[in-house]
Amino acid sequence: MQIEDISKKSEQLIRIKPEDLMPLPCPYDTPDADPAIRELTQDQKNRYEASLDGVLAIGIPKPETKEKEEELIKKFLSGLAKLLTKENNWTFLQPLLHSLEYCVKCQICNDSCPTYVASGKQEIYRPTYRPEILRRIINKYLKKQSILSLKLTGSDIELNWTLIARLAELAYRCTLCRRCAQICPLGVDNGLISHEIRKIFSQEMGIAPKELHESGTVQQLKAGSSTGIAPKALVNIISFMEDEIEEKTGKKIKIPVDKEGADILLLHNAGEFMAWPENTEAFAIIFEAAGLNWTLSSELVGYDAVNYGVWYDDFQFAKIALRHAEVAKTLKVKKISVGECGHAHKAMMVIADRILTGDLNIPRESAIPLLADLVMNNKIKLDPGRNNFPITLHDPCNMVRLMGIVEPQRQILRKICPQFREMEPHGVENYCCGGGSGFAIMQSMNFPDWRSAISGRVKLKQVLETFQDVISPGIPKYVCAPCSNCKGQIRDLFNYYSVFEKCNIFYGGLVELIANAMVDIKKPFIEWEWH
Amino acid sequence: MKIFLAILTYFSYTFIIAMYTIKAVKYLKLPTHLRWELYPVMHEEKYRYGGSYFEQVDWWTRIRQKRYLRGFLFLLKEYFVLNEYFQKNKTYWYFLYPWHIGFILIITFHMLCFFGAVAMVFGITISSSSQSMTGIVFYYAILFTGVVSFVTGAFGSVGLLIKRIYDENLKQYATPLHYFTYIFTFIVFISGLYAWYFIDPTLSEYREFWKGLITFKFIDVEFGAAAHIILFNLFLVYLPYTRSMHYITRFFAFYLIRWDDEPNIRGSKLERKLQALLNQKVSWSALHIKSGKTWGEQVEEPKMRS
Ligand code: SF4
Ligand code: SF4
Repeated sequence: MQIEDISKKSEQLIRIKPEDLMPLPCPYDTPDADPAIRELTQDQKNRYEASLDGVLAIGIPKPETKEKEEELIKKFLSGLAKLLTKENNWTFLQPLLHSLEYCVKCQICNDSCPTYVASGKQEIYRPTYRPEILRRIINKYLKKQSILSLKLTGSDIELNWTLIARLAELAYRCTLCRRCAQICPLGVDNGLISHEIRKIFSQEMGIAPKELHESGTVQQLKAGSSTGIAPKALVNIISFMEDEIEEKTGKKIKIPVDKEGADILLLHNAGEFMAWPENTEAFAIIFEAAGLNWTLSSELVGYDAVNYGVWYDDFQFAKIALRHAEVAKTLKVKKISVGECGHAHKAMMVIADRILTGDLNIPRESAIPLLADLVMNNKIKLDPGRNNFPITLHDPCNMVRLMGIVEPQRQILRKICPQFREMEPHGVENYCCGGGSGFAIMQSMNFPDWRSAISGRVKLKQVLETFQDVISPGIPKYVCAPCSNCKGQIRDLFNYYSVFEKCNIFYGGLVELIANAMVDIKKPFIEWEWH
Repeated sequence: MKIFLAILTYFSYTFIIAMYTIKAVKYLKLPTHLRWELYPVMHEEKYRYGGSYFEQVDWWTRIRQKRYLRGFLFLLKEYFVLNEYFQKNKTYWYFLYPWHIGFILIITFHMLCFFGAVAMVFGITISSSSQSMTGIVFYYAILFTGVVSFVTGAFGSVGLLIKRIYDENLKQYATPLHYFTYIFTFIVFISGLYAWYFIDPTLSEYREFWKGLITFKFIDVEFGAAAHIILFNLFLVYLPYTRSMHYITRFFAFYLIRWDDEPNIRGSKLERKLQALLNQKVSWSALHIKSGKTWGEQVEEPKMRS
């Protein structure tokens, strides 16, 4: 396949067959262990632009007329031009230009990319493929290089609607894990290029996956949470959690909400309230046991740490980051602490740091070091014997490679889990769960199949390898993933391959393990119930 | 001929310095961006495992330990080892490494020639039997850097050309300009080797040429040596049109992007810069963006409930 094939009309640019994928270890080492990615229906193919790899993450409707197509091409180009200006894109201009201009195409980065490797090295998933297309378009259509210069720099490419539609989808075949960037000796960041391509589509053309934009950031700003939980519903959920805590532990805990002047405003990914309430309950149990002065917020956006803008749109990102800071300012808390959500960590503490100025620049930290402080300094009584099962740790990219929180979670696990074992590689060299950059919440058509079979494949391989000596379903095992999105992805990934049934590998967060080890809780906190 | 050689040499050196400076200034003047660092960050205390100051409770109350020199030495070391390439693609490294060494040494060679010529102006004889130790050191250093660079550079150029043609991964992304560069560098290095072996085995002619440039008393050199001088000069003019700036931008990229973990402290210079950036008007045209308003205005809505 040649790079310029991206603009050539064909039913599908590549076809992914199960036999091409990277092999998996036992018990998935048989030819029939891999479910084939579902084919799109004819109706879906007729309605949406699906000629990239037969998978749809965004599902862009086909333009009805030639004029509409032309208009979209023009918009794409104007968006690309804006991406390269200081006013419109000061936020990422320097890293973007660096990555566009200084890649020497040595391809060293390729094998670091879990998607590329897992797919059986499909050309279009190569980390350098998307950037190369963008470079060629810039050279030909924005810099308007001469024909000779285009030939010499290999920049000849035809910009048409086929290319644009495929590129939009392709920007959503990269998890922004930035493993490729970590390995690049020249500091080039191909993950960033996917991010920037997504911005052209969102910020100029209004094209983004529904789960990220419409039912993501837009809903969060309007209704209060990306899950659709409105402030009133939150109050009910909190009271439900209080009841559940009492039922599980016998402890009567009043979860503080909107407590003015608290030391800590705890921000959870609101997905936890619905999918894993035990995580937020464990936080409440631990914080109360340690006597911390903390609160949740019931203000719009203030109870959802999610910030999907970080993956596709700088403006949506900034709006949400500002809301979070305003909520903290109004509550007059001393600091914001972010719960087990990797992208919320990165969004709030790192990226938003250069948007929050003046009195909105409220101190923000991760809850993980705070938990490590409680555990390591014996501020709560724990019995490691209660966590005596094989356990491994998944490092969420956002929290680890992208912001350097590596040791505190390990300190906790080493202290309270006698059978803790690392997966390889781990720490800042970890592999993405496969649900990064919004994938975990994107449920469009057959995209979930792709994300389990391909983007999550290396993670599955790692987990299975780590537990190979205890892989029998007779032994319960635990993957600790201190991130909501990672947990969502691991849930879907394990479901797709029936990992719970075949290997008895459970997944959950970090605080559940701490609560499970607390000596003053009689029953085990972890219930090993698959959900 | 001697005038032509001198003018071409002055021009090409001035040209490359000017072009690199313009490019570097342009790079450095780009606006401050949002943080997008990647760990390990070399100046961090816990750089060994990639830890950051975020691993501490109330991190903003602690003094951040920064060791900028460590990062600098790390990058410098990478230049001389190209470890990432060695780890990931050994056969590529076997050619890339000598090619890079060829570049590093040919630049060192020219710098030594310049300083050697300055020494000559001050009356120091540069030869293996010089009365002065400085003269002897210059003699051997120039000979060593020159010859080794010609050999390794020529070897690397051919190797990389072959590799780009036959390695499936590299071929797809190789452009005519890549091939041209390898052939060009091969000719430059091989011409140096030719000149040294057949014409100027002690490289004394080359030093005299440099002395002439410094004292404005230009000299004629043999055709083979002149060919190398011309080719090398043309190569200097060509370099800014390639991605060769990566020798410098690599430092920028690591310090200004990959390791840029500078927090935005209230009242700081950084904060003032950011406020100015937020006052710029934007022209994105998706429906959820108000084209023509500033960044700050964009993100104000919607207001809070209370
Ligand atoms: S991104 Fe870096 S590692 Fe990858 S091809 Fe470009 S220069 Fe090489
Ligand atoms: S960011 Fe991750 S998924 Fe994207 S190209 Fe790089 S390594 Fe691959």
